[in-house]
Amino acid sequence: MNKKIWLLIIFIILLLVFTPFLGIIPIEIKSIFENNPNSFIFWHLRVPRALLGFITGAILALSGLVCQNLFKNNLATPDLLGISSGAAAGAVIALKFNIDLTFLGVGGLSVFSYFGALSAVFFISLIARIVKNSSLYTFLMSGVAINFFYSSIIVFFQYIFDYSNTFSLLRWLMGGISVAGYKEVLFLSVILILFLIFIFFFKREFLLISAGEDFATSRGLNAVHFRIYSFLGLSFFVGAAVSFCGPIGFIALVVPHVSRVWGKGQYIPTVLFTFLLGGGLLLLADFLARSLIPPVDIPVGIVTSLLGAPFFLTLLIAQLKKTD
Amino acid sequence: MIKVTGLSYFAGMRPILRDLNFSIEKNDFVLIFGQNGAGKSTLLRILSGIVSAKKGEVMIAGKNVALYSKKELATMLSFLPQSDEFELPILVKDILLSGRYPYRSIFKKLSDRDNDVYEKGIERFALGDLLGRNIQTLSGGERKKVLLATAFIQDVPIILLDEPINSLDPGSTVHLKKMLEYLHHEGKTIVLVSHEIEHFFPYANKILALKNGEKSYFGEKIFSPQLFHEVYEVSFQRTLIGGKEIIYVNE
Repeated sequence: MNKKIWLLIIFIILLLVFTPFLGIIPIEIKSIFENNPNSFIFWHLRVPRALLGFITGAILALSGLVCQNLFKNNLATPDLLGISSGAAAGAVIALKFNIDLTFLGVGGLSVFSYFGALSAVFFISLIARIVKNSSLYTFLMSGVAINFFYSSIIVFFQYIFDYSNTFSLLRWLMGGISVAGYKEVLFLSVILILFLIFIFFFKREFLLISAGEDFATSRGLNAVHFRIYSFLGLSFFVGAAVSFCGPIGFIALVVPHVSRVWGKGQYIPTVLFTFLLGGGLLLLADFLARSLIPPVDIPVGIVTSLLGAPFFLTLLIAQLKKTD
Repeated sequence: MIKVTGLSYFAGMRPILRDLNFSIEKNDFVLIFGQNGAGKSTLLRILSGIVSAKKGEVMIAGKNVALYSKKELATMLSFLPQSDEFELPILVKDILLSGRYPYRSIFKKLSDRDNDVYEKGIERFALGDLLGRNIQTLSGGERKKVLLATAFIQDVPIILLDEPINSLDPGSTVHLKKMLEYLHHEGKTIVLVSHEIEHFFPYANKILALKNGEKSYFGEKIFSPQLFHEVYEVSFQRTLIGGKEIIYVNE
C-alpha cells in the first residue's frame, strides 16, 4: 500500500483522538472518565461530532468522485450541479410542513432529501438531453440555474411560513455538524459502508463510464441504464448526508481532485484517498469552525466554502484555458 | 458478416444517410470515404449499435443489431471513435483490461482465457512500458495504439475505426497501419472511415464511397478517377513506386 495512505490514516486517527479535547472548554484527559459536565461534553457532544464530521466528509467526497465519473468531468460535483441544493430543498419542505416519516428514530428528512436530490438529477438529465451536449459549459450553466431554482424554493417556504425555526434552519442550510448523537453517527456509518460497497462493486462499470459513453458502450456496458441506476444511488447517498449536515460545499470538488492526482489514475487508491481525505478535511474544518472565534460556532459550510471557492476558480481557469 | 438493407438516418428532418444497401464479408477490409458531413461517422456508429437506424436494418452475423444485448454485441465488434480524449485519469492497464469486460460477470475474476488474450495483446503490440501510465499522459500515437490493442484484447471478429490516423505523426501512422495489417491477417473484418485514402486504399479490398449520405459506389476496390472526382471534386492519380501502389491528389 501507498505510504501516503498510511500517513493519512495516522493523521486522521490523531485528529479523531485529540480534537474532542480541544475547544472553547479545554478538557483534561483524566476528567473524561469521571462523572462531570466535561465528561458529558466530551462523550456526548464532541466525540460524536468528530465522528459525524469524518463520516459526512467521506460521503460528500465520494459522491463528488462518483458524480465526476458519471459526467466524466472533474467540475461536475453534486454541489455545483445543484443536486445538494435539491436535497436541501426537499429537507426544508419536510421541516416546514412538519412531515415526519422518522424510521427507527432517524431518516425522516433523508427521504425528502432523496427525492429533492433526485428531482435535481432529473432536471440535469433533461437539460443534457435537450441540448444533446455534455460540455462543461452546459453543466455549469444548468447548475447555476438549478441552484437558483432550489434556493428560491427554500426561501419561499421560509418566507411564507412561521419564523420560529428560521435561525436553526439557516444554520443547517449553511452546512453544520453541530447537533449530533450516536444515532446519527450510526445511521450515516451504515450509509457510508453501503456507498463504499456500491463504489467497489461497480468498479469496472465506473471505470468504463469515466472513459466516455462511446468507449463504455463499445466494451459492452449499457451506459444509459448504468447512468440511471447510478443516479438513483448517488441521490440516496447525497440526500442522506445533506439531510443531516446541510449542503456543505466544495468538499466534493476539492477532495476527489487531489485524490486523482495522488492516485495516479488507479481506481482503488483514488477511492481510498477520497474517503480518507474527505473525512479528514471535514473533521478538521469543523474543528476550526467551532474553535476559531470562540464562543461562536461557525457553520462548517462557511469554512469549506471559504477554502474551496478559490480552489474551484483556479481549477475552472485551468480548464477553460485548456479548451480555448 | 455485416449486412445493411435500406438504411436511412435523419437528424430531425435533415437526411444524413439515404437508403444504403451493402454487405461486408468475413475478413474484408472496407474503406469508407467521402466529404466532411457525408455521413461516414454516423454510418459507423449505426453499425456499432451506438446509434440506431431510423429506417432499414443492420444484421451482424445474421442477427439484427438492435436485438443484441450490449454485452453480446461487444463480443462481436469493437468501435474506435475518432475522439480519444480522456477527461479523467485512467490507468492504461485498466483500459486494456476493459476489453475483457463483455466476457466477465460481476463476481468473476479474470479467467485464464482473459489473462492469455491480455498478455498476448501486450506482447504483440509491445505495450509493457505503458501499463502503469495514466492514459492522459500518452502521446496521440500511443493512445491510438492502446485503444487498438484494447480491440484486439476484446477478441472480436469485427473492428470499426473512425479516422484512426487523424493528426498522427508519420512514425505512429506507419505503426498503426502495421497493427491493422496484422489484425486483418489474423482474420478480423476491418471497417475503416478515413479521408486519408492514400494511406488505406492499398490495404482495402472493398471500398464504400459516400456522397451526401448516398452510396456512390460499393464493391471490390477499383481505382476510378471518375469516382474519386465525383466524391471529392478533385483529381486523384495513381502510380506505382517500387511495386507499391501510391494514390495522390493531382491539383
